[in-house]
Amino acid sequence: MNELFAVLPAPIRTLLNSLPAAVRDNLEEVRLRQNQAIEIRYGQQASYVTASGQLTSNSRLGWVFTEENRQKLINQISQHSLYAFEEELKRGYITVVGGHRIGIAGRIVMEHGEVKGIREITSFNIRIAREKKGVAGKVLPYLCDAPGKGICNTLVISPPQCGKTTLLRDLARMLSYGSEWAASRKVAIVDERSELAGCLHGVPQRDVGPRTDVLDACPKAVGIMMLIRSMSPDVIIADEIGRSEDGEAVWEAIHAGVSIVCSAHGNDLLEVAQRPMLGKLIQHGAFHRYVVLSRANGAGTIQGIYDKNLKRLERAQVAW
Amino acid sequence: MVKLIGCILVLFSASMVGWQLGRRYANRSSQLRALLLALQMLETEIVFGLTPLNRAFVKIGQRVPREIGNLFQTAAELLQTARELSTQACLQAAIDKHWPQTALRKDERDVLSSLAFVLGSSDVEDQQKHLRLAITHLHALEEEARVEQGKYEKMYKSLGFLGGLLVVILMY
Repeated sequence: MNELFAVLPAPIRTLLNSLPAAVRDNLEEVRLRQNQAIEIRYGQQASYVTASGQLTSNSRLGWVFTEENRQKLINQISQHSLYAFEEELKRGYITVVGGHRIGIAGRIVMEHGEVKGIREITSFNIRIAREKKGVAGKVLPYLCDAPGKGICNTLVISPPQCGKTTLLRDLARMLSYGSEWAASRKVAIVDERSELAGCLHGVPQRDVGPRTDVLDACPKAVGIMMLIRSMSPDVIIADEIGRSEDGEAVWEAIHAGVSIVCSAHGNDLLEVAQRPMLGKLIQHGAFHRYVVLSRANGAGTIQGIYDKNLKRLERAQVAW
Repeated sequence: MVKLIGCILVLFSASMVGWQLGRRYANRSSQLRALLLALQMLETEIVFGLTPLNRAFVKIGQRVPREIGNLFQTAAELLQTARELSTQACLQAAIDKHWPQTALRKDERDVLSSLAFVLGSSDVEDQQKHLRLAITHLHALEEEARVEQGKYEKMYKSLGFLGGLLVVILMY
Protein backbone atom coordinates (compact mmCIF):
# COMPACT_ATOMS: atom_id res chain seq x y z
CA MET A 1 0.00 0.00 0.00
CA ASN A 2 2.98 2.30 0.49
CA GLU A 3 3.59 2.42 -3.23
CA LEU A 4 0.03 3.63 -3.68
CA PHE A 5 0.41 6.27 -0.97
CA ALA A 6 3.51 7.54 -2.77
CA VAL A 7 1.47 8.73 -5.76
CA LEU A 8 -0.97 10.68 -3.58
CA PRO A 9 -0.41 14.40 -2.88
CA ALA A 10 1.13 15.03 0.55
CA PRO A 11 -2.04 16.27 2.35
CA ILE A 12 -3.99 13.13 1.38
CA ARG A 13 -1.08 10.89 2.25
CA THR A 14 -0.76 12.37 5.76
CA LEU A 15 -4.51 12.16 6.19
CA LEU A 16 -4.64 8.47 5.33
CA ASN A 17 -1.57 7.73 7.42
CA SER A 18 -3.22 9.29 10.47
CA LEU A 19 -6.24 6.96 10.24
CA PRO A 20 -6.59 4.36 13.01
CA ALA A 21 -4.56 1.28 12.07
CA ALA A 22 -7.63 -0.98 12.04
CA VAL A 23 -9.30 1.24 9.46
CA ARG A 24 -6.21 1.80 7.37
CA ASP A 25 -5.47 -1.90 7.07
CA ASN A 26 -8.99 -2.62 5.86
CA LEU A 27 -9.19 0.30 3.47
CA GLU A 28 -10.97 -0.68 0.24
CA GLU A 29 -11.70 2.60 -1.48
CA VAL A 30 -10.72 6.23 -1.17
CA ARG A 31 -13.14 8.50 -2.98
CA LEU A 32 -12.15 12.02 -3.92
CA ARG A 33 -14.47 14.55 -5.53
CA GLN A 34 -13.46 18.10 -6.20
CA ASN A 35 -14.73 20.55 -3.54
CA GLN A 36 -16.27 17.68 -1.58
CA ALA A 37 -15.16 15.89 1.57
CA ILE A 38 -12.89 12.87 1.22
CA GLU A 39 -14.76 9.60 1.63
CA ILE A 40 -13.27 6.25 2.55
CA ARG A 41 -14.75 2.77 2.49
CA TYR A 42 -13.40 0.05 4.72
CA GLY A 43 -14.89 -3.32 5.55
CA GLN A 44 -18.61 -2.77 4.94
CA GLN A 45 -18.63 0.83 6.11
CA ALA A 46 -18.21 4.24 4.55
CA SER A 47 -17.13 7.40 6.29
CA TYR A 48 -15.77 10.90 5.77
CA VAL A 49 -12.43 11.87 7.26
CA THR A 50 -11.66 15.16 9.03
CA ALA A 51 -8.44 17.09 8.54
CA SER A 52 -6.98 15.49 11.67
CA GLY A 53 -7.72 11.94 10.52
CA GLN A 54 -10.88 11.36 12.58
CA LEU A 55 -13.78 9.46 11.06
CA THR A 56 -17.03 11.38 10.78
CA SER A 57 -20.44 10.90 9.23
CA ASN A 58 -20.96 14.62 8.74
CA SER A 59 -19.79 15.60 5.28
CA ARG A 60 -19.33 19.23 6.37
CA LEU A 61 -16.62 18.28 8.86
CA GLY A 62 -14.64 16.29 6.31
CA TRP A 63 -11.38 17.41 4.74
CA VAL A 64 -12.15 19.01 1.39
CA PHE A 65 -10.43 17.88 -1.82
CA THR A 66 -9.37 21.13 -3.47
CA GLU A 67 -8.69 22.07 -7.07
CA GLU A 68 -4.97 22.31 -6.30
CA ASN A 69 -4.80 18.79 -4.91
CA ARG A 70 -6.85 17.50 -7.79
CA GLN A 71 -4.29 18.88 -10.24
CA LYS A 72 -1.43 17.34 -8.25
CA LEU A 73 -3.16 13.97 -8.08
CA ILE A 74 -3.69 13.96 -11.85
CA ASN A 75 -0.05 14.93 -12.42
CA GLN A 76 1.15 12.13 -10.18
CA ILE A 77 -1.03 9.32 -11.46
CA SER A 78 -0.37 10.25 -15.08
CA GLN A 79 3.36 10.77 -14.46
CA HIS A 80 2.94 14.32 -15.79
CA SER A 81 1.90 12.86 -19.15
CA LEU A 82 -1.86 12.66 -19.58
CA TYR A 83 -1.47 11.94 -23.30
CA ALA A 84 0.17 8.60 -22.53
CA PHE A 85 -3.02 7.42 -20.83
CA GLU A 86 -5.55 8.07 -23.57
CA GLU A 87 -6.59 4.41 -23.80
CA GLU A 88 -7.00 4.21 -20.04
CA LEU A 89 -8.95 7.46 -19.94
CA LYS A 90 -11.32 6.09 -22.56
CA ARG A 91 -11.98 3.11 -20.34
CA GLY A 92 -12.36 5.30 -17.28
CA TYR A 93 -9.55 4.18 -15.01
CA ILE A 94 -5.79 4.19 -14.62
CA THR A 95 -3.78 1.39 -13.05
CA VAL A 96 -0.85 2.54 -10.90
CA VAL A 97 2.18 0.83 -9.35
CA GLY A 98 1.13 -2.20 -7.35
CA GLY A 99 -1.89 -2.90 -9.52
CA HIS A 100 -4.22 -0.49 -7.71
CA ARG A 101 -6.89 0.96 -9.90
CA ILE A 102 -8.03 4.56 -9.90
CA GLY A 103 -11.45 5.10 -11.45
CA ILE A 104 -12.12 8.55 -12.84
CA ALA A 105 -15.07 10.67 -13.91
CA GLY A 106 -15.32 14.12 -15.38
CA ARG A 107 -16.39 15.73 -18.63
CA ILE A 108 -16.48 13.24 -21.49
CA VAL A 109 -15.26 14.26 -24.93
CA MET A 110 -17.04 12.53 -27.81
CA GLU A 111 -15.89 11.99 -31.35
CA HIS A 112 -17.87 10.20 -34.07
CA GLY A 113 -20.29 8.97 -31.45
CA GLU A 114 -17.56 7.33 -29.40
CA VAL A 115 -15.93 8.33 -26.15
CA LYS A 116 -12.61 9.94 -27.02
CA GLY A 117 -11.42 10.71 -23.55
CA ILE A 118 -12.14 12.51 -20.32
CA ARG A 119 -11.25 16.16 -19.77
CA GLU A 120 -11.53 18.01 -16.49
CA ILE A 121 -11.31 14.93 -14.34
CA THR A 122 -12.96 15.78 -11.04
CA SER A 123 -13.89 12.48 -9.37
CA PHE A 124 -11.49 9.75 -8.34
CA ASN A 125 -12.18 6.35 -6.89
CA ILE A 126 -8.97 4.81 -5.63
CA ARG A 127 -9.54 1.06 -5.27
CA ILE A 128 -6.97 -0.67 -3.18
CA ALA A 129 -6.00 -4.00 -4.66
CA ARG A 130 -5.34 -6.67 -2.10
CA GLU A 131 -3.33 -9.78 -2.51
CA LYS A 132 -4.80 -12.54 -0.39
CA LYS A 133 -2.61 -15.55 -0.77
CA GLY A 134 -4.25 -18.86 -0.20
CA VAL A 135 -7.85 -17.83 -0.90
CA ALA A 136 -7.96 -20.16 -3.88
CA GLY A 137 -7.18 -23.12 -1.62
CA LYS A 138 -10.88 -23.46 -0.78
CA VAL A 139 -11.90 -23.61 -4.43
CA LEU A 140 -9.03 -25.39 -6.10
CA PRO A 141 -9.87 -28.95 -4.88
CA TYR A 142 -13.20 -28.68 -6.69
CA LEU A 143 -11.64 -27.60 -9.95
CA CYS A 144 -9.54 -30.72 -10.43
CA ASP A 145 -11.70 -33.43 -11.96
CA ALA A 146 -9.50 -36.43 -11.50
CA PRO A 147 -5.84 -36.94 -10.70
CA GLY A 148 -3.66 -36.50 -13.76
CA LYS A 149 -6.38 -34.73 -15.66
CA GLY A 150 -6.52 -31.02 -16.41
CA ILE A 151 -8.19 -28.21 -14.58
CA CYS A 152 -11.93 -27.84 -15.24
CA ASN A 153 -13.06 -24.93 -17.36
CA THR A 154 -14.37 -22.60 -14.71
CA LEU A 155 -16.54 -19.52 -14.57
CA VAL A 156 -16.35 -17.36 -11.45
CA ILE A 157 -19.57 -15.40 -10.95
CA SER A 158 -19.76 -12.49 -8.58
CA PRO A 159 -21.16 -8.99 -8.14
CA PRO A 160 -18.57 -6.18 -8.11
CA GLN A 161 -16.35 -5.91 -5.03
CA CYS A 162 -16.72 -9.51 -3.92
CA GLY A 163 -13.20 -10.58 -4.65
CA LYS A 164 -13.34 -12.28 -8.02
CA THR A 165 -10.13 -10.66 -9.22
CA THR A 166 -8.44 -11.64 -5.97
CA LEU A 167 -9.63 -15.22 -6.41
CA LEU A 168 -8.48 -15.44 -10.03
CA ARG A 169 -5.08 -14.01 -9.16
CA ASP A 170 -4.58 -16.55 -6.41
CA LEU A 171 -5.77 -19.37 -8.65
CA ALA A 172 -3.13 -18.32 -11.17
CA ARG A 173 -0.51 -18.31 -8.45
CA MET A 174 -1.48 -21.72 -7.01
CA LEU A 175 -1.75 -23.37 -10.41
CA SER A 176 1.60 -21.95 -11.43
CA TYR A 177 3.46 -22.98 -8.27
CA GLY A 178 1.59 -26.25 -7.99
CA SER A 179 -0.18 -27.48 -4.85
CA GLU A 180 -1.34 -30.67 -3.20
CA TRP A 181 -4.44 -30.73 -5.45
CA ALA A 182 -2.92 -29.81 -8.77
CA ALA A 183 0.59 -30.17 -10.12
CA SER A 184 2.40 -27.06 -11.32
CA ARG A 185 1.49 -26.06 -14.86
CA LYS A 186 1.97 -23.32 -17.44
CA VAL A 187 -0.44 -20.48 -16.81
CA ALA A 188 -1.19 -17.58 -19.12
CA ILE A 189 -3.12 -14.49 -18.07
CA VAL A 190 -4.92 -12.08 -20.38
CA ASP A 191 -4.92 -8.99 -18.23
CA GLU A 192 -7.02 -6.53 -20.17
CA ARG A 193 -7.23 -4.05 -17.32
CA SER A 194 -3.85 -4.67 -15.70
CA GLU A 195 -5.66 -5.71 -12.56
CA LEU A 196 -4.83 -9.38 -12.20
CA ALA A 197 -1.07 -9.17 -12.39
CA GLY A 198 -0.81 -5.40 -11.89
CA CYS A 199 1.90 -5.06 -14.52
CA LEU A 200 4.19 -2.04 -14.58
CA HIS A 201 6.26 -1.79 -17.77
CA GLY A 202 5.26 -5.36 -18.51
CA VAL A 203 6.49 -6.90 -15.25
CA PRO A 204 3.86 -8.34 -12.88
CA GLN A 205 3.81 -6.46 -9.57
CA ARG A 206 1.85 -9.20 -7.83
CA ASP A 207 2.88 -12.76 -7.24
CA VAL A 208 1.22 -14.74 -10.02
CA GLY A 209 3.68 -17.61 -9.91
CA PRO A 210 6.91 -18.62 -11.64
CA ARG A 211 5.33 -20.30 -14.67
CA THR A 212 2.94 -17.53 -15.57
CA ASP A 213 2.97 -15.44 -18.74
CA VAL A 214 1.02 -12.22 -18.75
CA LEU A 215 -0.42 -10.47 -21.78
CA ASP A 216 -0.84 -7.02 -20.31
CA ALA A 217 -3.54 -4.55 -21.41
CA CYS A 218 -4.64 -6.88 -24.22
CA PRO A 219 -8.29 -7.25 -25.25
CA LYS A 220 -9.43 -10.67 -24.02
CA ALA A 221 -10.70 -12.15 -27.27
CA VAL A 222 -7.52 -11.32 -29.18
CA GLY A 223 -5.34 -12.18 -26.21
CA ILE A 224 -6.78 -15.66 -25.72
CA MET A 225 -6.16 -16.50 -29.38
CA MET A 226 -2.64 -15.08 -29.28
CA LEU A 227 -1.76 -17.10 -26.19
CA ILE A 228 -3.04 -20.37 -27.64
CA ARG A 229 -0.92 -19.84 -30.73
CA SER A 230 2.25 -18.55 -29.15
CA MET A 231 2.62 -19.60 -25.52
CA SER A 232 1.18 -23.16 -25.39
CA PRO A 233 -0.43 -22.63 -21.97
CA ASP A 234 -2.14 -25.33 -19.93
CA VAL A 235 -4.51 -22.87 -18.34
CA ILE A 236 -5.65 -19.45 -19.54
CA ILE A 237 -7.01 -16.99 -17.00
CA ALA A 238 -9.08 -13.97 -18.00
CA ASP A 239 -11.09 -11.45 -16.02
CA GLU A 240 -14.65 -10.35 -16.74
CA ILE A 241 -15.70 -11.85 -20.03
CA GLY A 242 -18.92 -10.49 -21.48
CA ARG A 243 -18.69 -9.44 -25.11
CA SER A 244 -19.67 -11.87 -27.83
CA GLU A 245 -16.16 -12.09 -29.25
CA ASP A 246 -14.92 -13.10 -25.79
CA GLY A 247 -17.36 -16.03 -25.92
CA GLU A 248 -16.02 -17.18 -29.28
CA ALA A 249 -12.45 -17.02 -27.98
CA VAL A 250 -13.39 -19.06 -24.88
CA TRP A 251 -15.10 -21.61 -27.11
CA GLU A 252 -12.01 -21.75 -29.31
CA ALA A 253 -9.70 -22.24 -26.32
CA ILE A 254 -11.78 -25.07 -24.89
CA HIS A 255 -11.58 -26.92 -28.18
CA ALA A 256 -7.86 -26.27 -28.43
CA GLY A 257 -7.31 -28.38 -25.34
CA VAL A 258 -6.56 -25.48 -23.06
CA SER A 259 -8.38 -25.10 -19.74
CA ILE A 260 -9.90 -21.72 -19.18
CA VAL A 261 -10.70 -19.97 -15.94
CA CYS A 262 -12.58 -16.69 -16.24
CA SER A 263 -15.01 -14.49 -14.37
CA ALA A 264 -18.22 -12.63 -15.10
CA HIS A 265 -20.32 -10.02 -13.31
CA GLY A 266 -23.58 -11.33 -11.88
CA ASN A 267 -25.40 -12.11 -8.66
CA ASP A 268 -25.99 -15.80 -9.31
CA LEU A 269 -25.99 -18.50 -11.95
CA LEU A 270 -29.52 -17.76 -13.08
CA GLU A 271 -28.78 -14.14 -13.77
CA VAL A 272 -25.63 -14.94 -15.72
CA ALA A 273 -27.41 -17.64 -17.73
CA GLN A 274 -29.77 -14.96 -19.06
CA ARG A 275 -27.00 -12.96 -20.65
CA PRO A 276 -26.81 -13.71 -24.39
CA MET A 277 -23.22 -14.82 -24.81
CA LEU A 278 -22.70 -16.43 -21.40
CA GLY A 279 -26.09 -18.15 -21.55
CA LYS A 280 -25.08 -19.83 -24.78
CA LEU A 281 -21.77 -20.99 -23.35
CA ILE A 282 -23.52 -22.39 -20.29
CA GLN A 283 -26.15 -24.13 -22.42
CA HIS A 284 -23.51 -25.80 -24.52
CA GLY A 285 -21.73 -26.97 -21.41
CA ALA A 286 -18.57 -25.00 -22.04
CA PHE A 287 -17.84 -24.71 -18.34
CA HIS A 288 -17.50 -27.65 -16.00
CA ARG A 289 -17.42 -25.65 -12.79
CA TYR A 290 -19.15 -22.48 -11.60
CA VAL A 291 -17.97 -20.64 -8.53
CA VAL A 292 -20.42 -18.08 -7.14
CA LEU A 293 -19.16 -15.39 -4.77
CA SER A 294 -20.99 -12.89 -2.60
CA ARG A 295 -20.44 -10.48 0.25
CA ALA A 296 -22.67 -12.36 2.70
CA ASN A 297 -19.84 -12.90 5.18
CA GLY A 298 -17.52 -10.20 3.91
CA ALA A 299 -15.87 -9.96 0.52
CA GLY A 300 -15.01 -13.34 -0.92
CA THR A 301 -17.76 -15.46 0.61
CA ILE A 302 -18.12 -18.60 -1.49
CA GLN A 303 -21.85 -18.98 -2.06
CA GLY A 304 -21.51 -22.22 -3.87
CA ILE A 305 -19.65 -24.29 -6.39
CA TYR A 306 -21.66 -25.94 -9.16
CA ASP A 307 -20.78 -28.58 -11.72
CA LYS A 308 -21.48 -28.82 -15.45
CA ASN A 309 -25.15 -29.71 -14.86
CA LEU A 310 -25.53 -26.80 -12.46
CA LYS A 311 -25.64 -29.18 -9.50
CA ARG A 312 -24.28 -27.80 -6.26
CA LEU A 313 -21.05 -29.39 -5.08
CA GLU A 314 -20.53 -27.63 -1.80
CA ARG A 315 -22.67 -26.03 0.82
CA ALA A 316 -20.05 -24.19 2.79
CA GLN A 317 -20.50 -20.48 3.21
CA VAL A 318 -17.10 -19.64 4.54
CA ALA A 319 -15.48 -16.23 4.42
CA TRP A 320 -11.78 -16.01 3.72
CA MET B 1 61.15 44.62 -27.32
CA VAL B 2 58.83 45.03 -24.33
CA LYS B 3 56.74 47.41 -26.40
CA LEU B 4 56.41 44.85 -29.15
CA ILE B 5 55.25 42.15 -26.71
CA GLY B 6 52.75 44.65 -25.25
CA CYS B 7 51.42 45.39 -28.72
CA ILE B 8 50.97 41.72 -29.51
CA LEU B 9 49.18 41.20 -26.19
CA VAL B 10 46.81 44.11 -26.80
CA LEU B 11 46.11 42.97 -30.35
CA PHE B 12 45.54 39.40 -29.22
CA SER B 13 43.18 40.22 -26.36
CA ALA B 14 41.18 42.68 -28.44
CA SER B 15 40.74 40.06 -31.16
CA MET B 16 39.67 37.56 -28.53
CA VAL B 17 37.01 39.91 -27.14
CA GLY B 18 35.71 40.45 -30.66
CA TRP B 19 35.78 36.75 -31.35
CA GLN B 20 33.86 35.99 -28.15
CA LEU B 21 31.17 38.55 -28.97
CA GLY B 22 30.90 37.11 -32.45
CA ARG B 23 30.66 33.56 -31.09
CA ARG B 24 27.52 34.39 -29.19
CA TYR B 25 25.71 34.79 -32.49
CA ALA B 26 26.99 31.49 -33.82
CA ASN B 27 26.16 29.74 -30.51
CA ARG B 28 22.67 31.13 -30.46
CA SER B 29 21.79 29.77 -33.84
CA SER B 30 23.41 26.38 -33.21
CA GLN B 31 21.62 26.05 -29.86
CA LEU B 32 18.38 27.09 -31.47
CA ARG B 33 18.82 24.29 -33.97
CA ALA B 34 19.50 21.86 -31.10
CA LEU B 35 16.36 23.06 -29.35
CA LEU B 36 14.33 22.59 -32.53
CA LEU B 37 15.71 19.09 -32.89
CA ALA B 38 14.83 18.37 -29.26
CA LEU B 39 11.24 19.53 -29.70
CA GLN B 40 10.86 17.52 -32.88
CA MET B 41 12.10 14.46 -31.01
CA LEU B 42 9.66 15.22 -28.22
CA GLU B 43 6.84 15.38 -30.76
CA THR B 44 7.79 11.95 -32.08
CA GLU B 45 8.01 10.49 -28.58
CA ILE B 46 4.63 11.89 -27.62
CA VAL B 47 2.71 11.22 -30.81
CA PHE B 48 4.12 7.86 -31.84
CA GLY B 49 5.68 6.46 -28.67
CA LEU B 50 3.20 7.77 -26.07
CA THR B 51 6.31 7.95 -23.86
CA PRO B 52 5.79 9.66 -20.49
CA LEU B 53 7.51 13.05 -20.31
CA ASN B 54 10.27 12.09 -17.89
CA ARG B 55 11.45 9.16 -20.00
CA ALA B 56 11.18 11.17 -23.22
CA PHE B 57 13.25 13.95 -21.64
CA VAL B 58 16.00 11.54 -20.57
CA LYS B 59 16.23 10.17 -24.13
CA ILE B 60 16.34 13.65 -25.64
CA GLY B 61 18.85 14.87 -23.06
CA GLN B 62 21.29 12.20 -24.12
CA ARG B 63 21.01 12.94 -27.80
CA VAL B 64 21.17 16.71 -28.21
CA PRO B 65 24.21 18.97 -27.50
CA ARG B 66 25.04 19.50 -23.86
CA GLU B 67 23.76 23.06 -23.24
CA ILE B 68 20.26 22.08 -24.31
CA GLY B 69 20.54 18.45 -23.18
CA ASN B 70 21.23 19.46 -19.59
CA LEU B 71 17.99 21.37 -19.49
CA PHE B 72 16.02 18.27 -20.45
CA GLN B 73 17.96 16.05 -18.05
CA THR B 74 17.21 18.37 -15.13
CA ALA B 75 13.55 18.56 -16.13
CA ALA B 76 13.38 14.75 -16.22
CA GLU B 77 14.94 14.50 -12.76
CA LEU B 78 12.54 17.06 -11.32
CA LEU B 79 9.51 15.34 -12.85
CA GLN B 80 10.66 12.08 -11.32
CA THR B 81 11.60 13.30 -7.85
CA ALA B 82 9.86 16.60 -7.01
CA ARG B 83 6.49 15.16 -6.05
CA GLU B 84 5.01 18.38 -4.78
CA LEU B 85 5.73 20.44 -7.89
CA SER B 86 3.30 20.71 -10.78
CA THR B 87 4.46 19.78 -14.27
CA GLN B 88 4.75 23.43 -15.23
CA ALA B 89 6.80 24.26 -12.12
CA CYS B 90 9.23 21.39 -12.80
CA LEU B 91 9.81 22.52 -16.37
CA GLN B 92 10.11 26.17 -15.43
CA ALA B 93 12.64 25.36 -12.70
CA ALA B 94 14.78 23.46 -15.23
CA ILE B 95 14.60 26.37 -17.68
CA ASP B 96 15.54 28.88 -14.98
CA LYS B 97 18.48 26.78 -13.87
CA HIS B 98 20.09 26.24 -17.24
CA TRP B 99 19.19 29.40 -19.13
CA PRO B 100 22.28 31.44 -18.07
CA GLN B 101 24.52 28.76 -19.61
CA THR B 102 22.93 29.06 -23.02
CA ALA B 103 23.34 31.76 -25.63
CA LEU B 104 19.59 31.94 -26.09
CA ARG B 105 17.49 35.04 -25.55
CA LYS B 106 14.24 36.03 -23.91
CA ASP B 107 12.19 35.32 -27.04
CA GLU B 108 13.17 31.65 -27.02
CA ARG B 109 12.61 31.48 -23.30
CA ASP B 110 9.06 32.81 -23.67
CA VAL B 111 8.29 30.14 -26.24
CA LEU B 112 9.52 27.38 -23.90
CA SER B 113 7.79 28.83 -20.85
CA SER B 114 4.44 28.94 -22.59
CA LEU B 115 4.98 25.37 -23.78
CA ALA B 116 5.67 24.37 -20.16
CA PHE B 117 2.12 25.36 -19.24
CA VAL B 118 0.52 22.79 -21.55
CA LEU B 119 3.07 19.99 -21.82
CA GLY B 120 1.70 16.72 -20.49
CA SER B 121 -1.70 18.08 -19.54
CA SER B 122 -3.84 17.06 -22.50
CA ASP B 123 -4.37 14.42 -25.18
CA VAL B 124 -1.96 13.61 -28.01
CA GLU B 125 -3.64 15.80 -30.63
CA ASP B 126 -3.58 18.81 -28.38
CA GLN B 127 0.03 18.22 -27.39
CA GLN B 128 1.01 17.96 -31.03
CA LYS B 129 -0.69 21.26 -31.83
CA HIS B 130 1.15 23.06 -29.05
CA LEU B 131 4.49 21.50 -30.00
CA ARG B 132 4.00 22.42 -33.65
CA LEU B 133 3.23 25.99 -32.64
CA ALA B 134 6.39 26.21 -30.52
CA ILE B 135 8.44 24.69 -33.33
CA THR B 136 7.08 27.24 -35.83
CA HIS B 137 7.97 30.07 -33.47
CA LEU B 138 11.46 28.73 -32.94
CA HIS B 139 11.92 28.29 -36.69
CA ALA B 140 11.20 31.98 -37.19
CA LEU B 141 13.61 32.85 -34.40
CA GLU B 142 16.25 30.59 -35.89
CA GLU B 143 15.88 32.32 -39.26
CA GLU B 144 16.35 35.64 -37.52
CA ALA B 145 19.36 34.32 -35.59
CA ARG B 146 20.97 33.14 -38.79
CA VAL B 147 20.56 36.53 -40.47
CA GLU B 148 22.01 38.20 -37.40
CA GLN B 149 24.87 35.76 -37.33
CA GLY B 150 25.71 36.57 -40.97
CA LYS B 151 25.54 40.26 -40.23
CA TYR B 152 27.28 40.57 -36.89
CA GLU B 153 29.54 37.59 -36.32
CA LYS B 154 32.16 38.71 -38.86
CA MET B 155 31.67 42.32 -37.90
CA TYR B 156 32.47 41.71 -34.21
CA LYS B 157 35.44 39.60 -35.08
CA SER B 158 36.94 42.24 -37.40
CA LEU B 159 35.92 44.99 -35.02
CA GLY B 160 37.88 43.33 -32.22
CA PHE B 161 40.99 42.98 -34.31
CA LEU B 162 40.74 46.45 -35.82
CA GLY B 163 40.02 48.00 -32.41
CA GLY B 164 43.16 46.34 -31.10
CA LEU B 165 45.07 47.62 -34.07
CA LEU B 166 43.83 51.15 -33.44
CA VAL B 167 45.00 51.04 -29.81
CA VAL B 168 48.37 49.72 -30.92
CA ILE B 169 48.79 52.44 -33.51
CA LEU B 170 47.76 55.13 -31.04
CA MET B 171 50.15 53.81 -28.43
CA TYR B 172 53.08 53.31 -30.77
